[in-house]
Amino acid sequence: MKIALAGNPNSGKTTLYNAITGKNEFVGNWPGVTVEKKEADLKRKYNSEGADVRVVDLPGAYSISPFTSEEAITRDFVLGEKPDVIINIVDGANVSRSLFFTSQLLELGIPVVVALNKSDILAKRGDKLDFNSLGKELNCRIVPTTATSGTGLLELVKAAIEVGKEQKKQISPSFDGKDSNDSKLARQKYIDQIIEKYQVKSRDASKVNISDKIDRIVAHKWLGLPIFFLVMWAVYAISIGGIGGYFSGYFNETLFGEIIPTAANGFLESISVHPILQALIVDGMIAGVGAVIGFLPLIMVLFFCLSLLEDCGYMARVAVLMDRFFKKFGLSGKSIIPMIVGSGCAIPGVMATRTIEDINQRRMTVMLAPFIPCGAKLPIITLFVAVFFPNHLWVGPSVYILSIAMIVLGGMLLKKIFVWENTSQFIMELPEYKVPGIGHAAFQMLDKAKAFIYKATTIILVCNTFVWFAQAYSWSFQPVADQSMSILASIGTFIAPLLLPLGFVGWQLGAAALTGFIAKENVVATFAVLLAVASEEALHLPGGALSQFFTPVTAFAYLAFNLFTPPCFAAIGAMNSEMGSRKWLWKGLAFQFGVGYIVAMAVTQVGSLIVYGSPAVGFIPAIIIAAVTTVYLVLKIKKSNTQRANMEIAA
Amino acid sequence: MKLSKAKIGQTFTVQNVEGKDKVKNFLFTLGCFEGEEITLVSKLAGAFIINIKDSRYAIDEAMANSICVSI
Repeated sequence: MKIALAGNPNSGKTTLYNAITGKNEFVGNWPGVTVEKKEADLKRKYNSEGADVRVVDLPGAYSISPFTSEEAITRDFVLGEKPDVIINIVDGANVSRSLFFTSQLLELGIPVVVALNKSDILAKRGDKLDFNSLGKELNCRIVPTTATSGTGLLELVKAAIEVGKEQKKQISPSFDGKDSNDSKLARQKYIDQIIEKYQVKSRDASKVNISDKIDRIVAHKWLGLPIFFLVMWAVYAISIGGIGGYFSGYFNETLFGEIIPTAANGFLESISVHPILQALIVDGMIAGVGAVIGFLPLIMVLFFCLSLLEDCGYMARVAVLMDRFFKKFGLSGKSIIPMIVGSGCAIPGVMATRTIEDINQRRMTVMLAPFIPCGAKLPIITLFVAVFFPNHLWVGPSVYILSIAMIVLGGMLLKKIFVWENTSQFIMELPEYKVPGIGHAAFQMLDKAKAFIYKATTIILVCNTFVWFAQAYSWSFQPVADQSMSILASIGTFIAPLLLPLGFVGWQLGAAALTGFIAKENVVATFAVLLAVASEEALHLPGGALSQFFTPVTAFAYLAFNLFTPPCFAAIGAMNSEMGSRKWLWKGLAFQFGVGYIVAMAVTQVGSLIVYGSPAVGFIPAIIIAAVTTVYLVLKIKKSNTQRANMEIAA
Repeated sequence: MKLSKAKIGQTFTVQNVEGKDKVKNFLFTLGCFEGEEITLVSKLAGAFIINIKDSRYAIDEAMANSICVSI
């Protein structure tokens, strides 16, 4: 039996889904958190008869006719895949709006059970709803629930399974004008009518409430932005500088830097393992994976903080706050949500663009959101800052400022290059604030930790083993005395000329950048493997082994290069599905690669001139590339301007 | 009168909604159509905070311009 969960955005579908399936899907307090359908088995506790029950969580929708692309997923599922039962989650905080969708669902013929969710809010407000009579009116069962605490869920699931077994066709309520031309209006009138009949409201929703008062501060014309930056700064200060950073420092320098390699070497020697195997295990696997796992505390604290932020209701306000600025360069205020979500991981970040209604704004957001450093890029930033800028506290935050600057500049550039009519309007529901769930945040954190360890011990382990092998052997599979004769060196040498204008000298840098496309953590892991073999010094110490490859200026450029060039393969996959066409994916990747390349080049060449008073290597080719790019952009913008002018004439 | 010109804190009756069908339909499902009540709660950071039925929405000036109301 298949039970589908459908209802308005932010009515608590995913919270209910998590409760009855035992899953831990992403929830948050803004409309449009869930952007794809999720499926799982019903939890044993709710399934006393042990029947085969699958539960499908769907993105929120205000009606059966979609406004945004994630709403279309919901429509396609309920119309196309015909679940056996629909549990319609009605938002207790706004029953009258929810019932519009309910009345449409009742007409599909699929049995419907209504979960009157957030019934605690309803009770707190002092509103009363005669749900028994309402259920009779609508010909379906209504069960009051509070998904956050689990109240009423047993009864709800029991009712759903019962009607699912009966397999009776749902009979929809009839109302005046249902078959008329203006059936939509008749439907709204009918709902107004039954609400009048069965709901007693003791609160005037239009009066200013606490949420409004908070909004007047956090979305204030002048205070809003400083507050937002302060909040984001606090999130990073706690995770990178505070507890997360402290434990990561210990993990990197002591645990994986000394204790574990020494112990492993001692152990492997004592059981007289072959030296090559010992090198593979210690220098390849432990060094590489350890360099990544060391950042686990940092990632955990980051996700914990982000989860609290997402759960409280602030995100919707940030979208409102940003709309004014983002409109200026072709984005929507909603574009900020993918960027904040993307600061944890770019994949859900890119997927979160689905709630943006306008396709052009959505494509631009997909291209720009990955500029915000994701959790996997943090190890690179932290490593480079620790090695090259140990006494310069501004360098870490400057990376974020640079990424925001590139989003703004990139947005302005894209707006000039692409030709489209921007007529989209902004609307966003503002949910009431709530106290974020600590328990949920803790679960999210553990979930992310599990995923992180899984990634480190699978894909990154495989990559590291390959990197170790490729730096130790030649193409004829003979061990090499010198890394520069190895397979990896020859691959790296192949790319190295491309990186020369950026001041990056050495095949190692090419190899690390290349493995970074598989997963960004690999950049750190690859350096760890290469240097564990070549040098005795710990990776994370100030002025450590990495400084043979970089000056502080080129180190910053290398950071920028990894920050802005296309994200990992998985995120590119997500970009592909959100762009909606292969052509746009290539445009996006070319744009990201171009930005990463040019920014790194500018940092190296301009930075070297200013800081060291002499140009870096590759100065001449850099000037040529800069000139060619400028000419290309000028021509491209001219062409777009002509196209725009033609469009206006045609219109 | 356009909603963008309305006074904060006042409740109005929607007269009509202009603009693209898609947006009009969307506002309709939220309960913003001729004859329904709408309240302008506040103006924040260039956006208009409105109350329709039991919920708050933030809309931009362009959308506030497309909603005509009367007292």
